[in-house]
Amino acid sequence: MTNPYHLTKAEKTPLLLEKLNVLTKFHVSQSTEYRSMIEKGGFQITANSLEEVPFLPVQLFKLLDLVSVPKEEVIKVLTSSGTTGQQVSKIYLDKETSIAQTRTLVEVMKPLLGAKRLPMIILDTKSILKDRKSFSARGAGILGFSNFGRKHFYALNDDMSLDVEGLKTYLEEYKGERILLFGFTFMIWQYVFKESIKQGIKLDFGDSILIHGGGWKKLKDEAVDSSVFNQLLHDQLGIREVHNYYGMVEQVGSIFVECSKGHLHTPQFADVIIRDTLTFEPLSHGRQGLIQVLSELPKSYPGHSLLTEDLGTIIGEDDCPCGWKGKYFTVAGRIPKAELRGCSDTFQGGARA
Amino acid sequence: MKLFWPIEMGFEQAIEEINMNSTFTPFDKEVLLFTQALSKTLVRMRQMPEVVALGYWLRKANIQEMKVKWEEQNKERFIKPRGTVFHIAPSNVDTIFVYSWMLSLLAGNRNIIRVSGKGHSNVLLDLILTELAKPEFEKIAKQTIICTYNYDEKFGEMISEICHTRVIWGGNDTVQTIRQIQLNPMANELAFPDRFSLAAISAEAVLNLGENELNELLDKFYNDVFWFDQMACSSPRLIAWCGKQHEKAKVRFWSAFENKVKNKRYELMAATQVLKYTTSLWLSTETDVRDIENGKYFSRVHVVDVPIEARERHCGGGLFFEYDVEHLSDLSKVIIDKDQTLAYFGFEHSTLQVLVDSISTRGLDRIVPIGQALNFDGVWDGQSFLKSFTREVVII
Repeated sequence: MTNPYHLTKAEKTPLLLEKLNVLTKFHVSQSTEYRSMIEKGGFQITANSLEEVPFLPVQLFKLLDLVSVPKEEVIKVLTSSGTTGQQVSKIYLDKETSIAQTRTLVEVMKPLLGAKRLPMIILDTKSILKDRKSFSARGAGILGFSNFGRKHFYALNDDMSLDVEGLKTYLEEYKGERILLFGFTFMIWQYVFKESIKQGIKLDFGDSILIHGGGWKKLKDEAVDSSVFNQLLHDQLGIREVHNYYGMVEQVGSIFVECSKGHLHTPQFADVIIRDTLTFEPLSHGRQGLIQVLSELPKSYPGHSLLTEDLGTIIGEDDCPCGWKGKYFTVAGRIPKAELRGCSDTFQGGARA
Repeated sequence: MKLFWPIEMGFEQAIEEINMNSTFTPFDKEVLLFTQALSKTLVRMRQMPEVVALGYWLRKANIQEMKVKWEEQNKERFIKPRGTVFHIAPSNVDTIFVYSWMLSLLAGNRNIIRVSGKGHSNVLLDLILTELAKPEFEKIAKQTIICTYNYDEKFGEMISEICHTRVIWGGNDTVQTIRQIQLNPMANELAFPDRFSLAAISAEAVLNLGENELNELLDKFYNDVFWFDQMACSSPRLIAWCGKQHEKAKVRFWSAFENKVKNKRYELMAATQVLKYTTSLWLSTETDVRDIENGKYFSRVHVVDVPIEARERHCGGGLFFEYDVEHLSDLSKVIIDKDQTLAYFGFEHSTLQVLVDSISTRGLDRIVPIGQALNFDGVWDGQSFLKSFTREVVII
């Protein structure tokens, strides 16, 4: 079994850079839009360092359809989660990129989950998977992670209520076994944790491991961070091991999971760079800035180097006490929305705000 | 609903009673005193340059000049105010409602103002309310309602029913939404939708400037662009370079402007930086875009045509479209209905007239020297406020 966290900086960088340069060149030749951006923006196609690889802002995928393969080869379209009315990102996957995505996910998770499929509880509703060709971020996440489990049980009914009886039966059946729990941070908080408090349900998930992601935006308003979250889930539901992950639908292959020390790690086929929020210059470790993500996977669309709107800090590289190599970092949340003054938005200032 | 004025009664009573108060005659003494008092307070707000500009506009001499002009134009005519004017103010250019209100007041009207709910600059409103509460302005106070409410509350309907003029500031969406609210059949309406503005600069004129003159020009240009984060509809977003030595002039102008923005300590924000970067890349996929350049303080997008989509995608915050022409009049072929203000540098009056003559669309309502793009005036978007806020009674 390969562990994607064993390469040091000196080993990883040239390999990744080579692959990213190949991708830049490929997308320039295959996507007219990407070629325009690179050429008209004066970017170098062959970068001499990871920092020099041209990066696109993730929001571009909301504004443009960016594809580097013929449309008929697209087998899957991923969309970002977004509230009604908002524009969503559209990410086009062909067979090759889709398979690579599944494979890397396995590699990233194996060090935590082992090779054996575990009984799996999905802390979400099954109805999210209705459309098989077009996946929301939540649907894609669930489907991707489902490969790690067996006997999948969905803990939420279609109306988002907690299936308490079903859960109890399931836990009884697999008592003593290690169970994989998967869900989205906010869904778990809102529909599992809060519901169980409200209904006074105490559960014991036993020797389980929870993997969750999707962002802390809504929990932040309630002043809940990762350590509070882990503690509360432990106390109320008896969940002993919790790993958050950071990733986005716009970049397949970039799944950064927390190690045993609670740090998000970069696997060998992906990386992060922190950039100054105003100049986009790369920052040294320990300084907070915009997170840029790099991944060698995106071949069917030009998403191998993306500038996110998330703020993060690299804590260190190759020296995490957990033993894994690579950069390890924390995510602090989204940059505040732009509040430009101007005379064109009376209406938004009113009812819709 | 939040009622800022009056303070001694509720909104519904205020609405019921407002039309019982008689209007002023145009340029009434009490109104003139009020504008002067307000002017004195506002010019002191040094930390808010746009409020100082408003105070300066309200100064005695300026209003007096306006009065003289108005009297000249209306010699031997019998002019009366319309009655009650309903102003719907934009959310972010927070001085606009005062201009709109003052012109209406000078015309003699009663006024109902819906200010924006966002109100992050309530300083201005507070200053006004203090003046309004003074006993010498009692009559004005009785003719004034200032409030804010959500559009799903039905107050807009109530006001629209009793007003005689409705003024909608704030973009296409707002105009469309408000227009769905039935207006008193006797009322007229002024609407100020989204507009786009540009600047025209003579390359040769820039190259001929001395350092001090260039610095002065850049100060003015900075104000036009950044006072409202390039989001005011009259802030220049496209720079048309005229003449022959485009590249040379651009190098000189932009490198000096970069220093200017830096020295002014313009506050950059992460989200705006990302937005400018995103917008420029998005635009670069269009064939009309030749190249893009993203800097720390602003982004430049070199275009060979200016389709309406490019105007609509503009994000503000320091993003410049650049368009090269040899003669100013060549600009006429890209001017569309939406274009409002042309701020210029280095052209004769006659050259500007030739440009206006050669425009076949509805475009361009204001042509002003760089530095005056944001200056509010009694004529806006081609309409005269004092005219729209009054009516002429014919006596034969």
